[in-house]
Amino acid sequence: MPVWLREYRWRQTASAVYLSLPVRGLRVTPANIFCTDQYLKVSIPPFIFEAILYAPIDDTNSTAKIGNGIIFFTLYKKEAAVWDSLTLANANKEKLQYLRENAVLKAHEKAKEETEAKKVTKQEHKKYALEATMKLEEAERKRIEDLKEKERQKVTKELELWKKQQDAAEKQKRVQKEGELHQEVEQLKEKKKEKINKILPNEGTSETRIKVTKGCRGSYSMFSENLKEEQLPAPRSAATIKINFTSRVFPTALRESRVAEEEEWLHKQTEARRTVSADLSELEDLKEEEKNPDWLKDKGNKMFATGNYLAAVNAYNLAVRLNNKLPPLYLNRAACHLKLRNLHKAIEDSSKALELLTPPVPDNENARVKAYVRRGTAFCQLELYTEGLQDYEAALKIDPKNKNIEKDAEKIRHLIQGTTQDS
Amino acid sequence: RPQVVSHAQQALNYTLFDCKWVPRSARLLCLGSAARGSGLLQLYELRGGRLALLREIEKAKPLKCGTFGATSLQQRYFATGDFGGNLNIWNLEAPEIPVYSVKGHKEIINSIDGVGGLGIGEGAPEIVTGSRDGTVKVWDPRQKDTPVANMEPVQGESKRDCWTVAFGNAYNQEERVVCAGYDNGDIKLFDLKTMSLRWETNIKNGVCSVEFDRKDVNMNKLVATSLEGKFHVFDMRTQHPTKGFASVSEKVQKSTIWQVRHLPQNRDIFMTSGGAGSLHLWKYEYPSQRSKKDSEGAEMGVAGSLSLLQNVTLSTQPISSLDWSPDKKGLCVCGAFDQTVRVLIVTKLNKV
Repeated sequence: MPVWLREYRWRQTASAVYLSLPVRGLRVTPANIFCTDQYLKVSIPPFIFEAILYAPIDDTNSTAKIGNGIIFFTLYKKEAAVWDSLTLANANKEKLQYLRENAVLKAHEKAKEETEAKKVTKQEHKKYALEATMKLEEAERKRIEDLKEKERQKVTKELELWKKQQDAAEKQKRVQKEGELHQEVEQLKEKKKEKINKILPNEGTSETRIKVTKGCRGSYSMFSENLKEEQLPAPRSAATIKINFTSRVFPTALRESRVAEEEEWLHKQTEARRTVSADLSELEDLKEEEKNPDWLKDKGNKMFATGNYLAAVNAYNLAVRLNNKLPPLYLNRAACHLKLRNLHKAIEDSSKALELLTPPVPDNENARVKAYVRRGTAFCQLELYTEGLQDYEAALKIDPKNKNIEKDAEKIRHLIQGTTQDS
Repeated sequence: RPQVVSHAQQALNYTLFDCKWVPRSARLLCLGSAARGSGLLQLYELRGGRLALLREIEKAKPLKCGTFGATSLQQRYFATGDFGGNLNIWNLEAPEIPVYSVKGHKEIINSIDGVGGLGIGEGAPEIVTGSRDGTVKVWDPRQKDTPVANMEPVQGESKRDCWTVAFGNAYNQEERVVCAGYDNGDIKLFDLKTMSLRWETNIKNGVCSVEFDRKDVNMNKLVATSLEGKFHVFDMRTQHPTKGFASVSEKVQKSTIWQVRHLPQNRDIFMTSGGAGSLHLWKYEYPSQRSKKDSEGAEMGVAGSLSLLQNVTLSTQPISSLDWSPDKKGLCVCGAFDQTVRVLIVTKLNKV
């Protein structure tokens, strides 16, 4: 049950009503006060004060002052008239309710309108601000453009001026030079005349004629150059300086960002060449060069050439133990085995070589041809002619122009046909 | 701050490799390679805001580089190096037959420089060429067929391309040095008076361009630009017996720095041109003390510092050639691989 506040005092003037409402000990905030144009309510639960005003007031301009235990209202009347009393006397419950609701609705509407108005003004402000900044930026840009343009024009003018000066200077020089040239020619003529006059009395020997060349660029420069040459030192005596370059494996230019990649590539290359499996105890007996697979391969080749096949095989064996990834070792060992008629071993080695020679690229064509031919020969000698023919045909595919391989392939074909005919 | 203002530009229908101002004039030369595989030399004049073509000369082989450095101001003969390794000196008034011609190298001449002409420097005029065949040769136009100095690799040594050469230290009649940069990052300094290698170093990236700040003084500074957007400035006044010359280096973006050119009127300002079509204007500031003693008492140089004055991007293609006008401060021409030659003016260089 709300407690009604009924103690209040009021007085009025022609245009305003002054209402003071004591609210002892209560904390009042603006939220507790609700006022529309004909209704005033102060609600501080559980206390409530309500007044249906005699006449409408201007609620936007009216004020409420919250003081020490008292609220002081200044209500401006809409119509300047004298009120008989603060509130409407004959107010029945329904009217009261209706008025209350109306008041609330009106307040709502007003609030809405206010927010709308606020929004609109905000938008306008934003737009205005945007336009203002745009204008400023535009002005700034223009200013810079103008500066640049001015500079450009200034500079162009200077350039033109300078150019004119240059042209004038050149013309002057040219005229001067021509003048000088004519002078010199005249002088020479004079001298010559004197000489001729001197010579003539003696005898008319060499009559040199001066070629009076026209005053074009080349000639006067020749005169001045002759003078200058006497001041220049002689050409240097030829010499060579020998230089060394910081070594670089790759033919491309050096770039820092690529150095890491290049190092990696080189590292991989050296790894591929270095000893793969090392049996330390046995290898200690060997000399330094005997540990190098390439050196051993060369040794083996030499022995093969002299016909010492067993020794060659030994050399290749050791080389393979040191580095089992070098195809030439297997190829050459296969050749040795062929000569030694170790046909199965020959086949094994050729096969190993072929394995290592993947991927098939033009670079290892020769090696692959050799491998196929050797394996084919081994097969044929074992009388496995079909396999042999297969290998020979593979060899032919890589190198179709090799006549020897063709001949041998033909032979094998005949052999096969011969045997099938028999059986 | 100095501004780079574009004054004129001209679209060409050939690949432009080098562009040079004709001394004492408002004319410039462009040289390069035409699509049909011949060399082109074009003479333009700056008129108003445009370039007017005065003369076009076609030669058998594409031209790579050229210089006015070794001729007198009256003659203004132009020396060119071409793709076939030939060095020719042309009189532009009568360009049918060269004034001097020699097949100097087995492969393309990448770079050329001249000294002793144009009233700059003392001593005999000489031309140096650096080629893909790994040799650097110095020529005297008065001596036919043989170079007066030849810097070649030792017998059996695999060669590296020489990408750039420059003269320096020509302050009297005897002194002269040649600096050469190679594609493996080597920079070598040859002393022509003693005919020996005076200094060498490796800057870890192929050297695209070297230039002394002045050819005709006691060597002061050397700028070397390289791949990967780096360049080094060496202080050449103090050579330490083991450490060589002190240097400061800068990295500019990631693209190759194709050229460096010092302003003829102020030797502490230079412009670098980059592979991304950009130009950077730099100023070198000297340190308070240019040399100091190291722990053993030997003199060691101290490098200064660099500041970037201006930076502008003109093209999407590399700017491969750059030349300052010796007559007008701030006027420069640059040629790029987008087949355009541009004339630029750099302003406010007096107040730097």
